[in-house]
Amino acid sequence: MAPLNSSRKKPSGGKGSSSSAKHKISKRPGIVPPLQPKTKSNPGLVKKKKRRVYTEKELGIPKLNTIKPVGVDIPKGKKRGKVFVDDQEGMMTILSIVNADKEGQIESKLMKSRHMEEVREARQKEAEARQEQKKSKLDETKDSLRRKGRRKLDLDLNGAVVKHQDENKESKTRRKRVSFA
Amino acid sequence: MRELTESEMKTLFDKVANYTGRSLTNLIAPPSPDSAPSERFVFRLHESRVYYLKLALANLAVSVARENLLSLGTCLGKFTKTGKFRLHITALDIIAPHARYKIWIKPNGEMPFLYGGNIVKAHIGRWSEDCPEHQAVVVYSMDDTPLGFGVTARSTAESRRLDPTGITCFRQADIGEYLREEDTLFTT
Repeated sequence: MAPLNSSRKKPSGGKGSSSSAKHKISKRPGIVPPLQPKTKSNPGLVKKKKRRVYTEKELGIPKLNTIKPVGVDIPKGKKRGKVFVDDQEGMMTILSIVNADKEGQIESKLMKSRHMEEVREARQKEAEARQEQKKSKLDETKDSLRRKGRRKLDLDLNGAVVKHQDENKESKTRRKRVSFA
Repeated sequence: MRELTESEMKTLFDKVANYTGRSLTNLIAPPSPDSAPSERFVFRLHESRVYYLKLALANLAVSVARENLLSLGTCLGKFTKTGKFRLHITALDIIAPHARYKIWIKPNGEMPFLYGGNIVKAHIGRWSEDCPEHQAVVVYSMDDTPLGFGVTARSTAESRRLDPTGITCFRQADIGEYLREEDTLFTT
């Protein structure tokens, strides 16, 4: 701005009374006004006129030494406040996302329950097999004990018979021995 | 009264999709391809309650002042203060036709359920196959009348081995609430 003012002042201040005569001459038709070639000859002056001065707001430069809370800073070109969903496409997309999520959850639940069921069945079978094994072992021992018992009984019976005979004999002999003093 | 935001819509669908299968899309699809756009159904939020109604009706309801508007369309449930969605028994008529897993209860089990009890194994007439544990189900009577919502206590395979008095389904909501919760069901 400073050089512009000085250039304007120059013709008015420096030339004095002769300047008024010059102006009169320039108004005459057919003669080119002297100011126009002067402005064209100064290229720096034209450039400065064309240059646009941007404000800080237009440039979007953040202000120095200021802190903006997170919620307060609103991004440019975005809708303020809540974003509503009322169109069918929007609802459908949300629904399809939710549906896919739920399908996956149910599928994984089913897989897990099936796996658990298999494990449970295997455990049950194992327990049953163990129980049967125990039972058969018990039966075996019972049988063996029964066999042993029978043999002993037979032996005992024989022994008892023998003993009875002995007792009879003894009793008979004892009777003979009885004597009165 | 206003439309639902994206997060609210997701929470709502998350809850409803527990009970329904893929046919839930029929809820928001237009009734027929050549029907007017105002004939489609929309969701509206009014005083933390979500309503399901035709767009034409929602547009009419705009003319009613907020404090004068008590209810509109069918109430699906309400948003809690923590942002979760609680399904109401009034949503049964909308959800029941699209139910994924179902439990039918015998006539002798209807009354215990409608009085707010859980469902025991002895009262179950039949159930959907391959139902996992803790899965949301819709409870029906033997003549296919929807009675309420529930959550399975055990999977179908496990509950087969259960004794008759064992709980197979926890009650969530039942149509007995229309009488039991008469005073609070439609008030805010």
